[in-house]
Amino acid sequence: MPKHQKTTLDPVILLAAGIGLLTLAIVLLISQNMGGQGISIGSGSASLMVAFVTGLTTGGLSCLAVQGGLLASSLAHQIEQDVLAHAPASHPKKHAKKTEAVSAQRTNAALPILLFLAAKLVAYTLLGALLGWLGSFLALSPLTRAFLMIAIGVFMVGNALRMFNVHPIFRYFSIEPPKFITRYIRRTAKGTDTFTPLFLGFLTVFIPCGVTQAMMATALGTGSAFMGAALMFAFTLGTSPVFFIVAYLTTELGARLEKFFMRFVAVVVLILGLVTLDGGLNLMGSPYSFTNFARAWTTTASDSGTPASAPSADLTLTVRNDGYFPQTLVAAADQPVVLNLVTHQTYSCSRDFVIPDLNFYQLLPDTGTVQVNIPAQPAGTKMFFTCSMGMYTGQIIFE
Amino acid sequence: MIKKTFRVEDMTCSNCAMKLESLEDTLEGVKEINASYHRLEMVIEYDETKLTEEQIIAAVKKKGYQAVPLP
Repeated sequence: MPKHQKTTLDPVILLAAGIGLLTLAIVLLISQNMGGQGISIGSGSASLMVAFVTGLTTGGLSCLAVQGGLLASSLAHQIEQDVLAHAPASHPKKHAKKTEAVSAQRTNAALPILLFLAAKLVAYTLLGALLGWLGSFLALSPLTRAFLMIAIGVFMVGNALRMFNVHPIFRYFSIEPPKFITRYIRRTAKGTDTFTPLFLGFLTVFIPCGVTQAMMATALGTGSAFMGAALMFAFTLGTSPVFFIVAYLTTELGARLEKFFMRFVAVVVLILGLVTLDGGLNLMGSPYSFTNFARAWTTTASDSGTPASAPSADLTLTVRNDGYFPQTLVAAADQPVVLNLVTHQTYSCSRDFVIPDLNFYQLLPDTGTVQVNIPAQPAGTKMFFTCSMGMYTGQIIFE
Repeated sequence: MIKKTFRVEDMTCSNCAMKLESLEDTLEGVKEINASYHRLEMVIEYDETKLTEEQIIAAVKKKGYQAVPLP
């Protein structure tokens, strides 16, 4: 079929595509919540739902900031060809033709974006499988993961400060792909056929954004090709709706939106970077994490912050989907303590329980009780516990 | 062939460097362009009989950036 006779998509199809993506997303969420086993990852990485929500909320924005230009350059060329096909240069009525051109731009932008995203989804799923498979040869301890998270957090905060143009030094947080790759991608982006956006979607694995890199590290930590693939699939699927909508609008609204959008992404990446950094510090058992600072500061009145009872050698901690309760336990000092971890239909990452100081790590059953024997600790000791992502935390105070 | 370096202050990411390097394919007389977001610079090797500095600056402007030749 000649290029100028390309089939156009109407807004109904666009809407259907968007709904399709969201439906897939919802199915994934439901399967997560109803599946009984949940989809928790054995070696203490994120659940698929967390990966999906991360993709949906920040991954899409961050990815678009890094990879959007690639898609836009492909689209721009394709749109240029379409506009030329719709509005021949010899025609003098520019204004009337401009409306037609914009219409052509709208209708023709959807298909390459969808192809691009589909290819990206497949590519990152395969990458996740590869990383998970590689991870199966590595035994990532909670401490190693903590360092990895801190490194990723620093990288993300640096990138956010780069986007805010705080100091020239932060430009080095942006990874410049090798010239031969960018040159190759650039020349490929000139194609106007169906293959081009598909191929470019695949090539995005070479230019992952900060959030994607974080998720890739998590996929590595799963230690399983299947879970690595599932994690990257969930994450990339999550990024797709935002990517699709903004990419589609960006082709219409142009650079002004992109500039506004970059500031928004910078804020989100900064927050996410700080959260990741905090998670890494929690996973190390550091008292200097933001969470532990905040807890120390607010231990006065809240239910979750106050000790559950008088010092005891037999403690019970309820492990819920939304964290650990109570968040502060008081244990008897100078004698061995038994900590009972009680789960009841718990499927979130709180199941991946870590006590950094004891180098204790265990994936708890979704329903049941697990006992942890804690050796005698001197009075005044604070022992932190956390989930394997450093998201949910708590502490045991020995008195 | 001469090699000239331009300062491009308004690059915001690595993708900007990629955009500038794409001039390699459209500007006649260009042998190679190496743009760096880290240094905010663009080094261009070109045939001065086919291309002028002003034409390069104009082409960069079309891409949305301001290029200032460095001595």
